[in-house]
Amino acid sequence: MIKKRLLVLLLAAVMAVSMMACGGGANKDAGADTSKQTDTAGDDNSKEKETEAPPEKVTLQVWIFGTTGYDELSQKYTEANPHVTLEFNSIASGDHHDRLFTALSAGTGAPHVTQIDVDYMPRFRETQNVFYNLYDFGANEIKDLYLEWKWNLGLGVDDSFLIALPTDIGPTAAYYRMDVFEEAGLPSDPDSVGKLISTWEKFKETARTIKQKTGKPMSDSVELVFNALRDQAQEQYFNEKDELIIENSPYIKQAYDFTVSMIKEGLLGTYSLWETEWNAGMSSGSYATLLAPAWMAGVIMGNAPDATKWCITSMPEGAGNWGGSFMAIPKQCSEAEAKEAYNFIKWLCAPEQQVESFKMAGLFPCAIASLDDATLASTPVGDGYFNGATAGVFAEAAKQIKDVYKGKHYPVANAEIVKALYTVALEGADPEAEWAKAVEAIKNAIRE
Amino acid sequence: MSELVTQRQSGLQKKYRFTEAKRNAISGYLYIAPFFILFAIFDIFPMFFSFYLGFQKWNGLGEMKFYGLRNFELIFTDPIFWESIWNTFIIGIISTVPQLIMAIILAFVLNSRLLRFKNFFRVSYFLPYITSVVAVTLIFKIIFSNHETGLVNILLNYLGFKSISWTTSYWGIKVAITIMIIWRWVGFNTIIYLAGLQSIPNELYEAATIDGASQVQQLRHISIPLLRPAITFTVFTSTIGSLQLFTEPLIFLTKNSIRQEGITMVLYLYRDAFERSNFGKASATSIVLFLIIVIVASLNYYLSNTIGTRKRRD
Repeated sequence: MIKKRLLVLLLAAVMAVSMMACGGGANKDAGADTSKQTDTAGDDNSKEKETEAPPEKVTLQVWIFGTTGYDELSQKYTEANPHVTLEFNSIASGDHHDRLFTALSAGTGAPHVTQIDVDYMPRFRETQNVFYNLYDFGANEIKDLYLEWKWNLGLGVDDSFLIALPTDIGPTAAYYRMDVFEEAGLPSDPDSVGKLISTWEKFKETARTIKQKTGKPMSDSVELVFNALRDQAQEQYFNEKDELIIENSPYIKQAYDFTVSMIKEGLLGTYSLWETEWNAGMSSGSYATLLAPAWMAGVIMGNAPDATKWCITSMPEGAGNWGGSFMAIPKQCSEAEAKEAYNFIKWLCAPEQQVESFKMAGLFPCAIASLDDATLASTPVGDGYFNGATAGVFAEAAKQIKDVYKGKHYPVANAEIVKALYTVALEGADPEAEWAKAVEAIKNAIRE
Repeated sequence: MSELVTQRQSGLQKKYRFTEAKRNAISGYLYIAPFFILFAIFDIFPMFFSFYLGFQKWNGLGEMKFYGLRNFELIFTDPIFWESIWNTFIIGIISTVPQLIMAIILAFVLNSRLLRFKNFFRVSYFLPYITSVVAVTLIFKIIFSNHETGLVNILLNYLGFKSISWTTSYWGIKVAITIMIIWRWVGFNTIIYLAGLQSIPNELYEAATIDGASQVQQLRHISIPLLRPAITFTVFTSTIGSLQLFTEPLIFLTKNSIRQEGITMVLYLYRDAFERSNFGKASATSIVLFLIIVIVASLNYYLSNTIGTRKRRD
């Protein structure tokens, strides 16, 4: 009798414990899920161990997102450093950053190495102390290898703290439809189109011609035209004290006004970014240009695998950056492990590996040496999908990008202004009223 | 003899430690413990924690800073907060009221002896309820597309109306979300009402038929008053549901453009917490939301309780 009761109690206890374990289960599952590469790397370890006395063995967890090809690329690293085992864990970007945020907030559960998207950096910057300062590991030595503006995005609140090493960037260019340009009786090779839209006034002029001859808009959406103009501004939304300056600083307002003037003439498309019709529009050639970063090549090819008329040329009046990532080391592992982690990301972010990951996954390099790499400049984008356009156009763009202060409230401010533009384009709203409303909303949102 | 005594003593001792009743109680508590342990960790603790957070400034990673009532001041002086309350109530009313009326009528029809293929209709009405909200919203997003090529806009054009930009216009967003909610929930409420209707004794209807009461009269004077418990329940759940409206507008508007035309209270606090890393303000908003739900729910309970009682008195 008593035995039976005890058994029941035990069962109940086991159930309680096992259910509680579910909470932490995600981590364990993820651990078990890591790519097969871990196993093979382990095998290599054991073979090579016999020949040389290795440094202390270490297993590094690496969290990445999206398509990077880093796990495949890193096999070279584990071959050369057999004492290191890498456990890669790749999930979708949104989930990745939420999970990282939770682990950092909880103070436990973060990996040794994590990738961070440039858009999420402001979220972590103010609390830089949850990461190791990479300058402590000698990151200063490699600083000059990279584009300055990109390197600075990896800094903490003060310049003596480096949160992360730069991996890739998203320099922008003008994707365009050759058939639409031809239909409008215009030349369609990259050089001529580049000249045709070399300034924003010329861009608008060409837009009028295309609208007249074909009835098609110049651009897919209002957002991408505005983004392009905004990225060329001398100042963005905030000054270094994080005060909103767009009411006095002319640049953002000029970008807004120019976009509005094109909307008013009916020269811009009414798609919203990422909506179904926007994706579908890539195959139909219903607009002439798409002002977008290097990684958009993959999106276009994915959405319009059969299209043959896409090509790439330079943006009017310079380029901007959209996207790109960093590699950071959360301060939850020992100093020794962090050192190993640093050695790994230093290798991963080195110019040679950046060229490799561009070839493998299309991640555009930010190391100056890789940008000047002759093979990169002559690599056809998308294996010839873009009618002979080479990566050189993006390499040129990368060097033109300005180092402008954005500040922690940048996403909020930008979202409001872009929303205002959509309202003008889709609802025919009064642009001045929408601008005032957006400025008001930004001011309200950033109050503390 | 002495053995017997010790045996009895040991038996007594055991009873002293745990009586039969106590033992039962303990095993009972252990049986229900898993739920309560999880409930404590994932519900009770976060609840009190967010009460605490409401008075702090916290970005989720760094140090918390005591903020007093500043968070509430920020909320109450933000026009978008008031807009979010307005939106929540407007969408709540235009989705709940027609929905419940439709559900009662549908339940009455499904319960009627004249209808054939009853099971088929019951299943079809209930089916939307078990679909995934996210998937449904994505599909509705395509149906309510901003462009001339969207299904609803084609229909509007065909009927001679102008196209509507569903994700940007003031009423467009609200109507689209409302239709999504109605489509998804009307079947659920129908089934609840149907269960309520089936528990009403048939004799009442037979007597009414003999007295010459029409179907509509039967609905008004027999079904609805006796459905009071079911109505109370559905009004209650629909109200709380619409006050917590979140997924549909979030997916419909997409994360990056949560427009004030469609922002709801929960969306407002979600945006503060997870887009703007302002957990203090978000928690303060959740406290305000909690108070609003308490007030509305009790008002609601009171009102729907009076529906049947007044009818019964006539």
